[in-house]
Amino acid sequence: MIFQLLQLLPASLPHGRRLRANILGLALESILTGVGFALLVPLLRATFDGDFDTAWIWLGAMVGVLAAYGIVRWITQMLGFISAINLGRGLFERLGDKIAQLPLGWFDATRVGSLGRLTSQGVIDVMGVPAHLLRPVVNAFVTPVTVIIVMFAFDWRLALAAAITAPLAWLVYQWSADLVQRTDHRMDDAKVDASNRVVEFAQTQAVLRGFGYATRSFKQLDDALQEQRDAGRSQLLIAAPGLAGFVLVVQIAFTILLLFGLNLALGGSIEVAELLAMLVLAARYVDPMIEAADLGGALRISRNSLGRMETLFATPPLPESESSRQPADATVSFEAVEFAYEEHTVVDQISFTAPERTMTAIVGPSGAGKTTILRLIARFWDASAGAVRIGGVDVRDLSTEVLMRQISVVFQDVYLFDGTIEENIRLGRPDATDAEVRAAATLARVDEIAERLPEGWEARVGEGGARLSGGERQRVSIARAILKDAPIVLLDEATAALDPINERAVQQALRELTHNKTLIVVAHRLQTVQAADQILVLDQGQIAERGSHAELQELDGRYASFWRERVRAAGWRVTAEQPRATTDKVPAD
Amino acid sequence: MTTAEVASELLANAEQEAPPSGSQVGRLVAPLRRTIAVASVLQAVSSALGVMPFIAVAEIGRVLLADGPTDEGRAWLIAGLGAGAMLLQFIFKMASGAITHFADVDFQFYLRRSMATQLSTVPLGWFNDRNSGAVKKALEDDVSTLHHIVGHSYTNMVGAVVTPLTALIYFFIVDWRMALVALIPIVGGIVLYAFMYRGFGEKMVAYDQALEDVNSSSVAFVQGIAVVKTYGQARRSYRQFVEHANRFVDYFWEWVRVQIPWISAGNTVMSPIFAMVVIVAVGLGLTASGTIEAIDLLPFIILGPSLAAAFLTLSFAQNDLMLAQRAADRVAAVLDTPSLPEAEQPRTPDGTRVTFEGVGFSYDGTNEAVREVDLTLEPGTVTALVGPSGSGKSTLARLLPRFWDTTQGRITIGGVPVNEIASDELYRSVGLVFQDVQLLRMSIRDNIALARPDASFDDVERAARTAQIHERIIELPRGYDSVAGEDALLSGGEAQRVSIARAVLADTPILVLDEATAFADPEAEASIQDALSELIAGRTLLVIAHRLHTIVGADQICVLDAGRIVERGTHQELLAHEGVYRRLWEASQVGEVVG
Repeated sequence: MIFQLLQLLPASLPHGRRLRANILGLALESILTGVGFALLVPLLRATFDGDFDTAWIWLGAMVGVLAAYGIVRWITQMLGFISAINLGRGLFERLGDKIAQLPLGWFDATRVGSLGRLTSQGVIDVMGVPAHLLRPVVNAFVTPVTVIIVMFAFDWRLALAAAITAPLAWLVYQWSADLVQRTDHRMDDAKVDASNRVVEFAQTQAVLRGFGYATRSFKQLDDALQEQRDAGRSQLLIAAPGLAGFVLVVQIAFTILLLFGLNLALGGSIEVAELLAMLVLAARYVDPMIEAADLGGALRISRNSLGRMETLFATPPLPESESSRQPADATVSFEAVEFAYEEHTVVDQISFTAPERTMTAIVGPSGAGKTTILRLIARFWDASAGAVRIGGVDVRDLSTEVLMRQISVVFQDVYLFDGTIEENIRLGRPDATDAEVRAAATLARVDEIAERLPEGWEARVGEGGARLSGGERQRVSIARAILKDAPIVLLDEATAALDPINERAVQQALRELTHNKTLIVVAHRLQTVQAADQILVLDQGQIAERGSHAELQELDGRYASFWRERVRAAGWRVTAEQPRATTDKVPAD
Repeated sequence: MTTAEVASELLANAEQEAPPSGSQVGRLVAPLRRTIAVASVLQAVSSALGVMPFIAVAEIGRVLLADGPTDEGRAWLIAGLGAGAMLLQFIFKMASGAITHFADVDFQFYLRRSMATQLSTVPLGWFNDRNSGAVKKALEDDVSTLHHIVGHSYTNMVGAVVTPLTALIYFFIVDWRMALVALIPIVGGIVLYAFMYRGFGEKMVAYDQALEDVNSSSVAFVQGIAVVKTYGQARRSYRQFVEHANRFVDYFWEWVRVQIPWISAGNTVMSPIFAMVVIVAVGLGLTASGTIEAIDLLPFIILGPSLAAAFLTLSFAQNDLMLAQRAADRVAAVLDTPSLPEAEQPRTPDGTRVTFEGVGFSYDGTNEAVREVDLTLEPGTVTALVGPSGSGKSTLARLLPRFWDTTQGRITIGGVPVNEIASDELYRSVGLVFQDVQLLRMSIRDNIALARPDASFDDVERAARTAQIHERIIELPRGYDSVAGEDALLSGGEAQRVSIARAVLADTPILVLDEATAFADPEAEASIQDALSELIAGRTLLVIAHRLHTIVGADQICVLDAGRIVERGTHQELLAHEGVYRRLWEASQVGEVVG
């Protein structure tokens, strides 16, 4: 644990040295305590002999040790907090840097969730190590050693007795830690499972209610909760003997010292003053170990957070290009591009060119790799083979800044920041004038949303844009893209239906956005597909067919049958009498 | 007390009026009062016994140093008693710990189950106002945080009081002056800690605020990373995160910097070595002046240094305790959420005719989402609700299966108001199909049989065939036993058909289709529609549709605007006059050229 920390803080850094100094200081604290108690022996001896002058001298020495202890304590407390502060500052910064460098594709829902915790509470957990946890840990190691050394100075037999029990206590402690660890696995699994079930329970509440689960319990959740309880019980049953064993061993050690010491004292081979001082010492020897055992949980939490940070730091970043190359124009081309995600090929040998100011529509069944193509252009990931080029330049040879200046992205999952609508639009071009922001907003029909909300343009959109509907969020993101005015637009058409008026507003906004741009669109609307200069029909990561609408109709292959199905679907009606959808007639509307 | 009693008492307590301020800990823990009392008594005995071995050491010292020949038998007797006390202390402590920890495991389980039970009956809107993460936090994390209270707080407190108290009693028996001296570290420590905790409450609030800022900027930074990067704003968002993080760290440092002298002084004063020096110094003076005997110093030297330790433990536990109290408040808030009332004497609907009579509904008590709606769904007919988003369509439709209760008017099925129908009866009458399909992480078979867990396999298969998904299911690795999201990886359209099979099996005479005619997977639209056609044949339908062309054949179309029905009639009737429907219809013509 301590070594792990030191690894995160290289010694060359000033606060790495401080942490080492802190550990040495804490060791010194324990040693001073041991020495202070050792001074009891001569002091008591003198007192029982009635030699008060000598006793006062020893007391003076003891006060000196106490003063030194106080000063060291103050310094270690200081160092501990300073280390914690520097550690925290450094970790926050490193995490921030790392997050900024990771490929965008890395951020899936689960990672985003756990990362949010790691970048806040996780750092605090780790800061707690130098601030609070280091002292008991160091104490637990150094104090018993000090006590035994001091005991050897006075009576080797008692010291030996204590020394023999120390490794035994340590062994039992390891054993109990192992037991806890073994049950931890089941506990963690049970907790994860129960947590997932709770999330599912909350997310699917409407479905559960709708199917009668208001009155009967949701068995899967209840099972998960029961398993969590059972795991807890079995952890207690399995781990309790270990913990009890540890405490028992430590106490038996003390009892042995007491009885053995008494035996020696009665035999006259040890002075009473020595015996008493050593029993007082022996009591000190036990406490730090028990205290450290109590802190096992807190230590484990910190260690887990540290482990997760190390894993994150070890994740390879998206390589950043040093070159200052600029794309020649707004042409996008794929050359034999392959991409695999978690050993699963998503895009397989795809080549195509989307010439400047043309529209390319991508169609195909879900899971065919349509969205991945857009993401490869925006460099959420790098291709595993082949090259994605913009204006003739490989996207990997463009600096992030240059690349991002070329493209506007309107995806389905629109994320808005918890600021005003205006702030969210201005993100598209921070130096835009108010008039330009308003103009973009008007084109995307966001002005309507602002008018409707009580606080107007000043209305905050809530975390992630939660206060706006899906269609409204998308309009804000379109306004943002309009303001940015990049030459290439990547668009993932929404599949969720909007009401007709919203739908029309979004379509108009999109027309404004994509006018005169290189547009690559994952298309769901028939109208979009029909209007495309080039259609790519994707299937299982490959381009199955390509051409214009007319050419592909002519071909009478996959696209043509796709088109027929969609047209049939478009003519479907909800009626109680008709058992099947109409297949024959193309609707008049 | 049996576990069932615990659960019922818990719920009974939950229904009581919550005290406006103060912690909810007492109320939540109330069912465990007796258990905790027993554990506390055991702990008290253990703590008192724990002092005995040290008293034994002191007394042995006195025997050994007494003038005249040493009474060996007495020395061994005391040593034996000390060793025995230590063993007993261990047994009592383990018993106390076992009782509280086992009780805690059960307590957590019943707390979680009670919360889940409660949440199954609260109005659905409760879930709209908070995300699933918050529910998970309350049920899992907050309940776990309470562990400290049940498992440790009470017994720790007892130990922290009984241990020094036992020692002090012994001290006063030996010598009252030295007993007072032995108190110096504790008193000094308390005074210094009081200085340390000055303004703690306000500082904690500021600390929480600073931490909250870090939390939210880190969430915004991570979740919005794609947006900020594509807009070249990564640096700004990064800066905000680092700024908040630094501000938090600065605040933390400001806080502890002034505390460090007090913490160091307080901890030094309570350290064993300080107590020993004070006792030895004063004791030496008193012995030198002949006020007390040298051997009377022994008890104080031996027991004095550990006196403050128990107190220190308590102050370390302060933070855990505070966290637990805040967690308890959140848990109590969940248990206090009012349920939808269940009819005491449920009535059975006569037929399936549905009426909305002067129905009004408001989520927050001020803004009305639905107002003055009168509507009749004749058995076997199709009624469509259309209107712009936010017009109240979904809210109105969801009032029928009683996701909320109406605030005005009433909804009846077969002549009986929905709130007088037993819940299970109601859900046998009304089925639901949503656009956002949600499969549960269980087998496909269980997913289809959600409404009728006891359905035979044949019934499940028949429903799957009707929904045109059977062929796809048997291609899955374990067929119907494949678990959704694990080995049953279905596309949006396939999941949608499973959810339709679910409704087919539920076989309710009334169906609410909420945007179910819009599609998660547009490429599979036609096959989903075929499945839907099979499902809806012959049922009473309430359909919410954005795509107007899908509902042109409806028996009646109701146009909603701002929660009110502003137009109603058939497609032809509505098109015949200049109104909202016609405007919507015309807008929709631009949207879908071929559709």
